[in-house]
Amino acid sequence: MRVDRRWLARAGATVFALALLYPFTALFARVGPWQWGEDVRGPALSSVRVSLLLTGCAMVIIVALGTPVAAYIARCGTRERLLWQAVLLVPILLPPLALGILLTLAFGPYGTVGAWLEHFGVVMTNSAAAFVSTQVYVGMGYYVLGAVAAFDAVPLMLQKQAALLGLAPWKVFLRVTLPLSRLGLAVALSIAWVRAIGEFGAVVVTAYYPSGMPVQLWVNLQSFGLPAVMPLLVVFLAVALPLPWLVHVLAQRQRHA
Amino acid sequence: MSWLNDNVMLKTQIIKKRREFDVNVSLELSKGSSLGLFGASGAGKSTVLACIAGIEEPDDGYVKLGDRELFPPSLPLHKRLIGYLTQEPGLFPHLRVSENVSFGIPNELATDKEQARWIETLRDRLQLAPLWHAPASLISGGQARRVALARMLARKPPLVLLDEPFAGLDRQLVRELIDDLIFWSRTLGFSMIAVDHQAEVLKRLCPEQAIVLENGKIVQRGGWDELHRDPATALLRSLLTPL
Repeated sequence: MRVDRRWLARAGATVFALALLYPFTALFARVGPWQWGEDVRGPALSSVRVSLLLTGCAMVIIVALGTPVAAYIARCGTRERLLWQAVLLVPILLPPLALGILLTLAFGPYGTVGAWLEHFGVVMTNSAAAFVSTQVYVGMGYYVLGAVAAFDAVPLMLQKQAALLGLAPWKVFLRVTLPLSRLGLAVALSIAWVRAIGEFGAVVVTAYYPSGMPVQLWVNLQSFGLPAVMPLLVVFLAVALPLPWLVHVLAQRQRHA
Repeated sequence: MSWLNDNVMLKTQIIKKRREFDVNVSLELSKGSSLGLFGASGAGKSTVLACIAGIEEPDDGYVKLGDRELFPPSLPLHKRLIGYLTQEPGLFPHLRVSENVSFGIPNELATDKEQARWIETLRDRLQLAPLWHAPASLISGGQARRVALARMLARKPPLVLLDEPFAGLDRQLVRELIDDLIFWSRTLGFSMIAVDHQAEVLKRLCPEQAIVLENGKIVQRGGWDELHRDPATALLRSLLTPL
């Protein structure tokens, strides 16, 4: 009997997906009736708001600062590029808890920058600013490294051709490089988003308050046990997944337009 | 274009180190004339064109277009006003054919009536109307060459560089494209340097004069009759001999 190779590949991919999603079967584990009373619901919904709003702010900063840096690195020679990549890898490689401690020491009231910022009324511990800046540090490396790869994939000759047609470098970037790298940029952004919104280790040190979803999960686990964790976990998936997925959908649509 | 007031359009010496040999070529081109760069594959012809266009930077020498110095120092690509066609049409795949053709037209001129008429003329003359609204990523290789030609002509460059732009096309299409180029060079009055390793293509495009390159150096320059009558090297004789 002849088996279609496509079906074999699809079956293999399905097994892979099932293995990847297997841990989520634990959502049906017997942990007792899920708790979603007012004492759980109120803080949970507040944490959803905090996570969505502040992670959104962090993403805006990451894209605004990271995109030009990535465009610059994509044009660098090998040596300089390796140096930049090492710099970007440092915050990614650090255990999140260690990064949180370093951020608190550097930006807290006893650090030079922290003291200076406090002088202007910007508190960098247990504040929205602390939350956002931590997420920026956590997600920036992922976004920039992904964006560099996306820019690398745009043929250099097309960009030179656009320049020969009279476009200044920034116009070439906007009209050729950016549109042709959008799928890769979407992937980079979604990875940065997923990484930042799910961040616990660093955020729990720098910004226990205002509590985002990961910290609230921890609080629920400590205060109420697993029955209060499960519903928040479902909410977390429901609110964290659509945005990066939508970015992929939009990028794919434009690609095939 | 006030900087094109001289009868000498292009004056250049390109010195470029390559792994196998150094390219060292000097040439001059007058306004409205054409020059064929002929030689075997890998002789350094494309390097010379790429250096004039600014795609590659020469190691030494100079490039002067009219009164303007293009090198040294290297003038940014977008200020050069040079048309450059290669084997790869290099269309922007995310844009439609119409957007590709008018890509180099500055925004402030995009709504200009005269400009719009000019783009329509290009569209009609190069038979692009049937595919005008098609995505550039979905057209055939031959159509892509026409679009690339229209896009290059849209800016009315005073100097056009052609680096084997007909490679891989059937003879009928090559003939049509050559006719188009000759027509537009007469209409717009641009100067042209073409590179090819097929003498028959170059003879039609640049009937006046040719330069023959071997290992990065000029081994002969002159008219095509002269090259046929008295080829300077055995390789050139072989290249000019029909199969």
